Amino acid sequence: MEKTNGANKRWNFGANEVVERSSSLSIRQYLETLISSLNVNDGRTVIPLGHGDPSPFPRFSTDPVAVQAICDSVRSTKFNTYSSASGIPIARKAVAEYLSRDLSYQISPDDVHITAGCLQAIEILISALATPGANILLPRPSYPMYDSRASFSQLEVRYFDLLQEKAWDVDLDAVEALADDKTVAMVLINPCNPCGNVFSRQHLQKIAETASKLGILVIADEVYDHYAFGEKPFVSMAEFADIVPVVLLGAISKRWFVPGWRLGWMVTLDPHCVMKDSGFLQSLTNVISMSTDAATFIQGAIPDIIGNTKEEFFSSKLEMVRECAEICNEEITKIPCITCPCKPEGSMFTMVKLNLSLLEDISDDLDFCYKLAKEESLIILPGRAVGLKNWLRITFAVELELLIEGFSRLNNFVQRHSKKQP
Amino acid sequence: MSEEQQPHANLVVPTFRTEKEPKTQTQNGNGRSVWRFGGSEKAAEASTVTLRGVIFMLFDNCSKDVKKTVLPLGHGDPSVYSCFRTCIEAEDAVVDVLRSGKGNSYGPGAGIPPARRAVADYLNGDLPNKLSPDDIFLTAGCNQGIEIVFESLARPSANILLPRPGFPHYDARAVYSGLEIRKFDLLPDREWEIDLEGVESIADENTVAIVVINPNNPCGNVYSHDHLKKVAETARKLGIMVITDEVYDRTIFGDNPFVPMGKFASIVPVLTLGGISKGWVVPGWKLGWIALNDPEGVFEYTKVTQSIKQNLDITPDPSTIIQVALPEILEKADKKFFAKKNKILKHNVDLVCDRLKDIPCVVCPKKPESCTYLLTKLELSLLENIKDDIDFCVKLAREENLVLLPGEALGLKNWMRITIGVEAHMLEDALERLKGFCARHAKKTETETESLEALKL
Repeated sequence: MEKTNGANKRWNFGANEVVERSSSLSIRQYLETLISSLNVNDGRTVIPLGHGDPSPFPRFSTDPVAVQAICDSVRSTKFNTYSSASGIPIARKAVAEYLSRDLSYQISPDDVHITAGCLQAIEILISALATPGANILLPRPSYPMYDSRASFSQLEVRYFDLLQEKAWDVDLDAVEALADDKTVAMVLINPCNPCGNVFSRQHLQKIAETASKLGILVIADEVYDHYAFGEKPFVSMAEFADIVPVVLLGAISKRWFVPGWRLGWMVTLDPHCVMKDSGFLQSLTNVISMSTDAATFIQGAIPDIIGNTKEEFFSSKLEMVRECAEICNEEITKIPCITCPCKPEGSMFTMVKLNLSLLEDISDDLDFCYKLAKEESLIILPGRAVGLKNWLRITFAVELELLIEGFSRLNNFVQRHSKKQP
Repeated sequence: MSEEQQPHANLVVPTFRTEKEPKTQTQNGNGRSVWRFGGSEKAAEASTVTLRGVIFMLFDNCSKDVKKTVLPLGHGDPSVYSCFRTCIEAEDAVVDVLRSGKGNSYGPGAGIPPARRAVADYLNGDLPNKLSPDDIFLTAGCNQGIEIVFESLARPSANILLPRPGFPHYDARAVYSGLEIRKFDLLPDREWEIDLEGVESIADENTVAIVVINPNNPCGNVYSHDHLKKVAETARKLGIMVITDEVYDRTIFGDNPFVPMGKFASIVPVLTLGGISKGWVVPGWKLGWIALNDPEGVFEYTKVTQSIKQNLDITPDPSTIIQVALPEILEKADKKFFAKKNKILKHNVDLVCDRLKDIPCVVCPKKPESCTYLLTKLELSLLENIKDDIDFCVKLAREENLVLLPGEALGLKNWMRITIGVEAHMLEDALERLKGFCARHAKKTETETESLEALKL
């Protein structure tokens, strides 16, 4: 509602165009557009297969010990205070020990920086890396928050492909071709959002060696750590910190199904002091000290959350995710115009390719998803949101009944829009 | 005592170097790679203006040899002390949400609707132009509110007006966003009122906003209705918005009533920053807000609102737990709890001012009526061999293990800030040590000098 008074007063302030450009890349924006096109008269439940948050579903509720840990933290009254910039000591120590469980060495608590979710770690890291003229290598397809934050910090982005014909492995030749003397880092998300693959140990080592040769950091986004339910076990890039400096990102959000708690970490693995000597570590510390922190009362609960959660919780939840992935795989094969080149083996997503030539009056992935939302109250993310036009990203970590119903609706939609046979 | 058990464990600040690190490309041991990432000058510059560096340096000067506990009265976090424990209703609200399982999911960037509505209701009590939930945006603490607003306003050549003395986080974030800083004075002989003539002289066509902190940190005054109106009128004349930081709106213990700047929103667009951190003494819960008081829709048509919303989409959110608990926390706001807290602070202020009567070189010209700090002026002419406020504070730390903040860190040279949001006995102890220190460093009078000379013969 615009009301101007009389002479249309001139004000000196206005929008920041950099923000506008950066946020239009976000998944939130795409989902909002789809949700706004839902048919309000459709009485059916909206089925959300576009986002990345299974926590609303009863089958993916968190472990009660985690809830108890935070209640205890609140009642103790010891954690209502400001936190030190990198987090309170007991939280840093607990995370260091947790991550070291699967490693051949011990991570030092001093290298652990607690952040308000993995998202804040991305924000801080990209910001600290954005020196004038620098560029960063991102995978395609990707998690677009990296793109948004890079755009916002005016850090140039160059994309290397994840190869669908090679189980989504990194195109290392492309990485070498893209890098120049202003390239500062490459990002790897493992287990992979959005592709659903898990990178092998051998491949991770090759990536580390390539990055080292190019003189760049590896940003290892392992927010889906341990979400590996296929053949390949999860291996952390931390194992290769001796070859190349690694910044490891993670959070409790996915493994404990609590993204709303906003507790993540950024770990600098730098045994040869490369990050330190180059001055980058100081910059990172400077940005951290100017930024908001994870809520202290949640940090205070971390030792108990990590310490008291049993392996059975993790394995039973992983089994549920695997079950969902199985159903997803089966159902996709039944739908003619959709192919999945690599069955998901990790995370909670899979990328499927659209064969538009089999469809009538659907122009592209956005059009597909828009009409799907409108006609079937089913939300799926258009692949362009993650960098692959005419693909779709399907989230399978939802209640089984919803998943099955969702694919049924998808099938109906596709049938309805299929090109008629002569 | 382990680090976690020390009462001030969370007040200890990490190592922090203030000098710029050179941007280098180093070779590793066998010269195989040249590493291409390096330091950020922008980050280095911004970080030099935070308090952490000064505070850490002062802690560094304390020593075990001085057999007294370290008294950290240079910066503040009252939540560390049990006398300031938050109210049980707030704790209950959070625990209830946790048990319900309703705080575990992502929320929308702007905040969940019930929380936004609760903040609008909370603020509307004192406002003629009512806020709708759409005018409220939740942030991960008031400090993040500052980050978001500055990032939303940043444009090439833009400048922002900040108060001196001020709150250094504003400076750090302004530098980091690329906003040029211009300082206006708060006038000590006018009860810290804003030097409006100064404001008009430094503003130009690239000025986007003026930041007003009310109730004022660090000065502790509460601005009058008339003065705030004048500020609004000045801002309007200059074509700039008022960003008002009202995070201390529930930490008032003097006679002047709090008047929200939003009252003058029909004169000038007002962007209010607030939160529960200070009122409820829960800075660790990280819940703040941005409220757009703007009946004329200026923020909307200049697209500032859009920038803020878009920024919120790509930045971290406050925890869903506290968002879901917020309506209950705000609605059950207990007047008795606030009164008790403020009474303790008033008592502490009176205690300090009383003791200062015996310390002529440290003067408190105006008792604070709000916030958790007390500003004093140093009469250096009464002291021997102390060249300025930093020198005073360093020597004080070294000799007495007492850390007070030199005013230089806030833009007020030769003043000193004492944190009063602590337990009373700490202030008693601190003032004793301060008295001893000042007596030791007092300039000898002429007769004293003669006596000393006589003794030497």
